[in-house]
Amino acid sequence: MAINTKVIQRPDPRRISYLRAAFKGMALTLRHMLSPKTVTQQYPEEQTELSPRWRGTHVMEVHADGRPKCVACGLCPTVCPANCIRLVGGEDDQGNRYPIVFEIDEFRCIFCGMCQEVCPVEAIHMGRDFENSEYTRDRFVYDLDRLMQQDHPSALLWDPADPAGE
Amino acid sequence: MAKKTSKGGDAQIEEVTLTIDGQEVTVPEGTTLLQAAQGVGTEVPHYCYHPGLSSPAMCRLCLVEVEGAPKLLASCTTTVAEGQVVLTQSEEATRMRRGVLEFYLLNHPLDCPICDQSGECDLQDYVFAEGREHGRGRDAKRVLGRDDFGGDVLFYGDRCVMCTRCVRFMDEIEENPLLTVVERGNRSVIDTFFEEGLDQAAWGGNVVDICPVGALVSKDFLHKARAWDLEHTPSICPNCSQGCNIELHTRDNLVHRMKPRANLEVNGHWICDYGRGRYEWLNRGDRLEAPVMFTESGNRAMGWKAALEALKARIDDVAEHSVKAIVSPFWSNEDLGAVARLVESLGGGVVFRSPQADEEIPLSGYEGLARRKGLAPNERGAELLGCVRVGDKAGQGGVDDFADHEGVVLVLGDSLDDQLERFAPNAALVVYLGAYTSSALASADFQFPVTTFAEQEGTFTNHVGRVQRFWPALKGPGAARPAWLVLGALLAALQDEEGPSRAEQAFSLVVDSVESYEGLSYESIGAGGGPTGEPVPLAGD
Repeated sequence: MAINTKVIQRPDPRRISYLRAAFKGMALTLRHMLSPKTVTQQYPEEQTELSPRWRGTHVMEVHADGRPKCVACGLCPTVCPANCIRLVGGEDDQGNRYPIVFEIDEFRCIFCGMCQEVCPVEAIHMGRDFENSEYTRDRFVYDLDRLMQQDHPSALLWDPADPAGE
Repeated sequence: MAKKTSKGGDAQIEEVTLTIDGQEVTVPEGTTLLQAAQGVGTEVPHYCYHPGLSSPAMCRLCLVEVEGAPKLLASCTTTVAEGQVVLTQSEEATRMRRGVLEFYLLNHPLDCPICDQSGECDLQDYVFAEGREHGRGRDAKRVLGRDDFGGDVLFYGDRCVMCTRCVRFMDEIEENPLLTVVERGNRSVIDTFFEEGLDQAAWGGNVVDICPVGALVSKDFLHKARAWDLEHTPSICPNCSQGCNIELHTRDNLVHRMKPRANLEVNGHWICDYGRGRYEWLNRGDRLEAPVMFTESGNRAMGWKAALEALKARIDDVAEHSVKAIVSPFWSNEDLGAVARLVESLGGGVVFRSPQADEEIPLSGYEGLARRKGLAPNERGAELLGCVRVGDKAGQGGVDDFADHEGVVLVLGDSLDDQLERFAPNAALVVYLGAYTSSALASADFQFPVTTFAEQEGTFTNHVGRVQRFWPALKGPGAARPAWLVLGALLAALQDEEGPSRAEQAFSLVVDSVESYEGLSYESIGAGGGPTGEPVPLAGD
């Protein structure tokens, strides 16, 4: 016998039947077809309910007069582990510190939520949204106007009634 | 315990031994407890104390416990005594400091996110280290808004902790009391006299540096960068020949501000407004980036090796070897020394042009410190290397004799902005080593990009001949290299030997050629500068 040759002993064809197994499988399929319980979700017609702590596309909160709440303190670019926030601070005509440039690269972002956690004025938030596909790559760099226009709800990283978690 | 004596200069200085936080320390008599504690590595929180100013002991934050004393003592004014036992971290001392800090926060706005001092603020640090976790204040905080103090200084009254360092600086050091405390008690506030602001002071920018909180901030730096983003590089002020020790604060390869670096033998803790405000030229964008050779079809960029080989071939071809060189005193000793060596080996002479001010601007309260007449940092270094001063007070003209020169012309650093026509048209070979593009030298045979002082390691020699080191703070653009490296490689090729590959080696070649530099090396100069060779005393703040 040649090397590396293994002879497989086939079972006796008179003693086996594939028919029984085939019927068993068909019965299971049929049972699921008729069952009222559905597992598949019909996205996008049906939307998943997101957790209140879901961290998605950012939102910049605005004051009542339309100014961004951001004071350009520089904590979010400092804390950002992915280095995806670009911030240039300046002074507006009323003498308030504000961001001249505030850009978030959503491609680089790892959605950790630390920018929201560190923000002293609760300006930048993670949003409860994930449907942010675009046709071009450069559209993924969100500037200040775009962040202010995001209208989805923002994430609750902590319980508002118990912010310190005590 | 027997008192020890040691000789310090001519006078006999008594030495005192005491115990601070369990550590025994021996210091000269008259040292304050705060300074002695700094010596053993314990930083006692303080606001009103500044090593360059008098101590009024009014901030009440440096209180320490001294065994045997009935109550806590202000360590900034209490001098050491033999056998004293000082406890800076005892329960009583920390409890008292926590209380004092709570009083400071009664009116201090917690606007750290928009405050420029945030990250380098003493109040922030002390409260974080020793303060209470939560404030107990119930009353509304005092709101004063902000005030323009003139010059480069902006005053945020709410943030002030009334340490009066700024008032004392203007009083004692600048000796031009333009700031004062108005009102009394909890209504007191720092102010200028009516319309007379700090724009009348030539050294007023220092009040921003000594302010322990964000009450006095620089208009130029306002909202520009956060303190923790900046990299600090020890350097030398390039704006006059005093050679003040500074730090360059950089981010994203740009200089954002200049701050004084303490050196009691040169500038104390201070620098002038003239020098402080002139850092923008280090960020200039019109830089040379690649070695360029002029050919019939125009300028051609090339690599360093090819460019230096082509230059060597041209020098060998030139009939008349004599070199006329013009250098800029904004370049380091190492660079100027390399030019001097090249000129020495080929024959010729070196000149330099330097802008001059009409008068000095002295700081009355600090002897030996002034904005000097010479507005270039390395005039003295150039003179010691045998360069001859030409030109007028604006640092222009004086180079007409270059037009007739038929040998080699070498230009280092000076971009000859006053020369409207092509420079040295009769020269057989024109070589320009510079940082910036120059219209007069646009058709020079060779243009080599070199780094400025902020982009390389090196030394400047100040007006009294003190050699001081600086370190690279920025990255040079493109293929720019230090001039000493380029010229050293060229000279090495001409003479068939090895050129310097490190700034230290380039400096030792300079030391060999200048008599008064004898014995100096980077190691012996250190961060404080030579040729005194004495260690510079460490000063806090």
